[in-house]
Amino acid sequence: MTVDDWLAAFAAELRRRRVEPAALVAEAAGHLRDSGRPPLQVFGPPTAYAVSLVDSLRGATTELRRPPSGEPRLAAVKIVKRYGRSTILDGVDLTVHAGEVVAVIGANGSGKSTLLRICAGLLAPDEGHVRIRGTLGYCPQDGGTADYLTPDEHYVLIGAGRGESRGAARAEGRAAAATLDWPRSSETVTARHLSGGTRQKLNLVLAGLGDPGVLLLDEPYQGFDNGSYLDFWQQVWRWRDTGKAVVVVTHRLGELDRADAVLDLTSRSAR
Amino acid sequence: MDRRTQWLRGVLDLCVLGALGRGESYGYEIAQRLEAGGLGSIAGGTLYPALLRLERLGLVVADWRAGDGGPARKYYRLSPDGAAALRSASADWAVFVDNVTAMMEVP
Repeated sequence: MTVDDWLAAFAAELRRRRVEPAALVAEAAGHLRDSGRPPLQVFGPPTAYAVSLVDSLRGATTELRRPPSGEPRLAAVKIVKRYGRSTILDGVDLTVHAGEVVAVIGANGSGKSTLLRICAGLLAPDEGHVRIRGTLGYCPQDGGTADYLTPDEHYVLIGAGRGESRGAARAEGRAAAATLDWPRSSETVTARHLSGGTRQKLNLVLAGLGDPGVLLLDEPYQGFDNGSYLDFWQQVWRWRDTGKAVVVVTHRLGELDRADAVLDLTSRSAR
Repeated sequence: MDRRTQWLRGVLDLCVLGALGRGESYGYEIAQRLEAGGLGSIAGGTLYPALLRLERLGLVVADWRAGDGGPARKYYRLSPDGAAALRSASADWAVFVDNVTAMMEVP
């Protein structure tokens, strides 16, 4: 591994973790120049070194975070949902603004996916209402892809539903897939032959097609390896930074600092 | 991990503060000071995370400057808090070493 390769890989790993790389890369490059020793010997593998620096920085200001600003794009008001005698959602409110990421958490069965399906209009609440401003992209927890279609055909199909031409939808889908560490030449393989993680990536790309103003993502990273998981959050932040309202259902409590706000659905009695 | 490495892990941040107590410096030169002080070769992968932690805790402050015609470097120096932390840790360490030494002496 040459010094330039190592530095490039190191910069990419920092960027993936939302740390501005310029200063850290310049400092490492200076050290390598002074010492004249190979980067793997001085710093170890770029990923491990980036992780240990980011751990040291945690809580520092180099994280590229910005406060949400903008109009409410999604407002779910006093949502009640019952199944038989059990009340799954009991007067839940959720407001998401343009340029904001909200994480929805809660124990299994606390109604996370139900709330998201209600927000997406796939399920009617027993009480309450949902107001959405703009168009909607929805990434279900599983399903959402068709076994006998290739990714390209998915892009064209979903794109058509959102008024896009075949060529434009295909180009947009491929470009979005490329940012998710998409395996090479998977565009022409039918979905049933894709790995679980790649199908979920396809699902996520489909949710973002046609530039929706609101994105509802239901644990969309099942089967992702760790690198892809970081790429997933990069994608979420790109959406946020272009003014979209993003809801992410998650069970990974350790990742809550990645969202701007958190809605915990764990019922008060169960806490 | 050998014993020396384990010892160093517990006191590296204090040694870095001590190295900076001898005057402001940049990463590579700090590593050289530590090596010259008999602590062995400190890998960059260990040193820079420690420097970042000290910076985050406010014990050192850093800024980028071009040296004499050389490339810009990040210079670190002790903050007043860092100097105070070094003084108090150094007194604690002396007591600790005395106690360990006494304990290891077989009467």
